[in-house]
Amino acid sequence: MNKYTYCLYNGKRPVSWVSAILLVLALVFSGAGLAEVPNAVPPEGEHKGDDVPQPIHFPHDTHAKINEINCMYCHTYARRSKVAGIPPTSKCMGCHSVIATDSDRIKKLTEYWEKNESPPWKKVHDVPDYVHFTHEKHMKRFLFDNEDMEVERVSEVCAFCHGEVKDMEVANKVKPLNMGFCQRCHEANGGPSDCWACHK
Amino acid sequence: MSLQNVLTNWSQYRKTHEDGGFYDYEHMWGMSVDLNKCTGCNACSVACYAENNLAVVGKEKFDKGQGMHWMRVERYWDEPDLAAGESTEFSEHGGSFLPMMCQQCNAATCEPVCPVAATYHTPDGLNAQVYNRCIGSRYCSNNCPYRLRYFNFYSYYESSWPEPLNMQLNPDLSVRDKGVMEKCTFCVQRIRVAKDTASRENQALVDGDITPACVQTCPTKALVFGDLINTESKLSKLWASHEVELGKTEQHKKNKEKRGYRVFEELNTDPCVMYLERVKEV
Repeated sequence: MNKYTYCLYNGKRPVSWVSAILLVLALVFSGAGLAEVPNAVPPEGEHKGDDVPQPIHFPHDTHAKINEINCMYCHTYARRSKVAGIPPTSKCMGCHSVIATDSDRIKKLTEYWEKNESPPWKKVHDVPDYVHFTHEKHMKRFLFDNEDMEVERVSEVCAFCHGEVKDMEVANKVKPLNMGFCQRCHEANGGPSDCWACHK
Repeated sequence: MSLQNVLTNWSQYRKTHEDGGFYDYEHMWGMSVDLNKCTGCNACSVACYAENNLAVVGKEKFDKGQGMHWMRVERYWDEPDLAAGESTEFSEHGGSFLPMMCQQCNAATCEPVCPVAATYHTPDGLNAQVYNRCIGSRYCSNNCPYRLRYFNFYSYYESSWPEPLNMQLNPDLSVRDKGVMEKCTFCVQRIRVAKDTASRENQALVDGDITPACVQTCPTKALVFGDLINTESKLSKLWASHEVELGKTEQHKKNKEKRGYRVFEELNTDPCVMYLERVKEV
């Protein structure tokens, strides 16, 4: 009887001390660069998304980083709906009827506003049609039901799947958002593993 | 790893033939169909077409048995009295109707034959079909004694929903392409919404929160939907009052007048749909 069969019979996994230490070290170092949301294991995986040209070159960094506007101020529906939503033009004009009105981008925005049209924003983060994803449940689990997490720091939660959007100008897809990406996080954080929880 | 999950769920929620017991279901959605009330109007079928993005295949393909009616109303005629000179063609009397939707069997015969685990049992006691996993081997359809699984032999998107009809598609479930098996889901998208709403309001699901499209549409209220685990639900009481029990291959009724029965329960599929026999004038 060799070592492996012994382990099988014993119901134990053949883990040596060396690999155990390596595993612990790997966990420590891999966690170092990620957002530290208490009570959550962020999903792994990187992705280089294509540049999506938007009708107006929208700078996320100016809004979310420099002016520290909460993500959910504009993406209102994230807390109570499947989709996070793109803000209506009226919300942009709420500020930009007085702020930075002389910049080229805002002039373009004002044109749309006066024509009673919304800028044709392009979707950046899209999951396939057979996937049921709801922002509401994820916000509930990682933000509202998460005692150590303040609503002001919501961008750390968003960064799980959307990357550090506050460092970008026009948003870009930086996470794979495929089934492996979702599943690893669901396993680490105790999400449902039933097929029909996500597939429709 | 996800395959492992599927296989675990498979054995966890699937009632096996050796073991008559049930496992830790969260819910067990079931239905009851009163054939006395059914007028055979087909409204349930139409509602299902609208709700579940079912393709309209056209006369020719329907003739070949390729119709995609998840909810179908079967029509039966009484046997003609040949001695009295009745014709063997469609008779003028004695028609009866049987609405057939997926029976959501607890020991479903379709599940163990799927080579890719695209069909499995959910913790809700539903027999699930995962479209993007399905490779179209059609084993499940061949193994279903009720013939309630429908295969997409063609891509119907262009022909069934030409512009602007594609605007009517329900976004809560996918449009199936060719090569994929599909079946009644008890309107799982509505179950999902009801659960999400309940959890948002921090409340438990109440009987009557969920209404599948067919039940909602039935003009005579012949269909009743509910949770069989919850003994207080309208459906459970209906099952109990007609002395129909889960996990049996034959119902031993104290009162023989009770009309409840399950289709093909002797095959030990343990269906979750109860039918109430039609009382006929003699």
